[in-house]
Amino acid sequence: MTRLRAEGLTLGYDDQAIVTNLDVEVLDGKITAIVGANACGKSTLLRGLARLLKPRHGEVYLDGKAMTELSTHEVAKILGLLPQTPVAPDGITVADLVARGRYPHQGWFRRWTERDDDAVTRALDATGTADLIDRPLRQLSGGQRQRVWVAMALAQDTDLLLLDEPTTYLDINHQVELLRLLRKLNAESGKTIVVVLHDLNLACRFCDHIIAMAEGAIVAEGAPTAVITPELVEKVFGLACVVIPDPIAGTPMVVPA
Amino acid sequence: MTATTSAAPAATTAGAFRTVRRRRATRSLVVTSALAMAVTALFVLTMMVGSFQLTAGEVIASVLHLREDPSVDFVVRDLRLPTATSALAVGLALGAAGTIFQQLLRNPLASPDFVGITSGAGLAAISGIVLLQLGGLAVSGLALAGAVGAALLMYVLAWRDGVAGYRFILIGIGVALFFDGLIGYMLTRARLSDARQAMHWLTGSVGQAGAAELRLLLGALVLLLPIAVLLQRQLRTLELGDDTARALGSRVELGRGGLLATAVALVALAVAVAGPVIFVALVAGPIANRLLGPATGGIVAAALAGATLLLTADLVAVHVLPTPLPTGVVTGAVGAPYLLWLLATTNRQGAGG
Repeated sequence: MTRLRAEGLTLGYDDQAIVTNLDVEVLDGKITAIVGANACGKSTLLRGLARLLKPRHGEVYLDGKAMTELSTHEVAKILGLLPQTPVAPDGITVADLVARGRYPHQGWFRRWTERDDDAVTRALDATGTADLIDRPLRQLSGGQRQRVWVAMALAQDTDLLLLDEPTTYLDINHQVELLRLLRKLNAESGKTIVVVLHDLNLACRFCDHIIAMAEGAIVAEGAPTAVITPELVEKVFGLACVVIPDPIAGTPMVVPA
Repeated sequence: MTATTSAAPAATTAGAFRTVRRRRATRSLVVTSALAMAVTALFVLTMMVGSFQLTAGEVIASVLHLREDPSVDFVVRDLRLPTATSALAVGLALGAAGTIFQQLLRNPLASPDFVGITSGAGLAAISGIVLLQLGGLAVSGLALAGAVGAALLMYVLAWRDGVAGYRFILIGIGVALFFDGLIGYMLTRARLSDARQAMHWLTGSVGQAGAAELRLLLGALVLLLPIAVLLQRQLRTLELGDDTARALGSRVELGRGGLLATAVALVALAVAVAGPVIFVALVAGPIANRLLGPATGGIVAAALAGATLLLTADLVAVHVLPTPLPTGVVTGAVGAPYLLWLLATTNRQGAGG
């Protein structure tokens, strides 16, 4: 039994169902990538797993309890999420933003403590953003800014971390840097990570488990080497390709035909 | 990850972060205390000046009932204290409400002046003056009802899976324009004397406060300011967008509803007391942020900044200018250039207003 799983999950906006009747188990202590073409429902699934969307049908379970029965405050101590396009107030500094990740650990009258200081320090060190604390967020480069947002999510100090397309606006170097950071966090603290990714090759290279989606359903699921085949890529993305081993890591690499 | 940063020992990071955090806390304390002292000084000063000059000692002794002197007590307690208290209370309420609106809707233009609430109060009050020949407490009551009504109307119009910030502002501006149009129409139908009274009310002045409305506003401040301060925690998460706020375990709709209700109540009561004194709610928050450091968003500091502004504006309006003017004229003269500057700079940054 995994800590985070969904049964018969149907999600949607307004009258439209985006994701229908999905069963998902998020592997504990692993990095899972959700991949698929645009508008296949991968971000919707992630939002559903993070209780940002109420299920139409079915249920998401965290530690065996139905998410809808749990207080959102308690969930936030176990499960963190970095949304696709987070917004920040104008002029906010890195220290201020990262510190706001401590919200679920504080109460109406219990404010800042030693433990909060420690968690923020760890988050800043892990993401290499410690030397930026005095800087306003908007003055940073895209890669630095994304690391700061990850630091905020880390300051929340959760066992599970979900990230919605964290590499979208980054150049290749910063994409790799961010995924290496996720790998490091996973290796050092055993954090369970679920990440929605666009780039199949990077997903194969850095993730343990792949969930491939098309039209609101899961098409294939498993280790990258088992899942990523020319047939699957054709089916999911409509792209004819060959799959060769990555020359460095040996993981599958998709080359358009 | 660069090797240099990750190799830095954790102790230095902890120290650096603690220093930054303490510096912010100290700055916040110093700024808030300084504003509180400025407000107190202005409050006393307002009661010292006039055709009958008094010393600070005389004013304080009379207000606190330390000494009985019938002539001083008459000037201070009966003539000047109500106006000064009204300027203080209206300033605190507008400052707090303005910064809550701006942070909640993530837009420096989203002050209650611009999103229809003040206009709703204005329309209701003017209708009372023009159609029913009302005055005093009845007009204030109508203003209160109008502000709350406008806020509810906007909440209903803007509601769809929660209140999205940008939509709320656009609908608010639409509602404000609609109400302003109706106010204009109402004035064209008015008798000349009613129109004068209506225009005077619309300019906004702390001098027109009635005792009953003022007591209500003071009571509301005592109750609502602490609530606003408690809800500031929620506000800090809501500023990061609904998804992040939810992920952090904040109860988004509840927090936003509570904050909006608090801010609307404060604005409605302030307008009921003094009429629509413009621009105070718009500038108090940004002034407080300038003093505290960007994105700090201290509600208490903004409230105090609002009170400082309004007390100063009242002093200037009544004592510095050759002829006494309504407070709203002075705040408008200061606020309009700020608004232009705001529009010019936000457009340049591409943030859009």
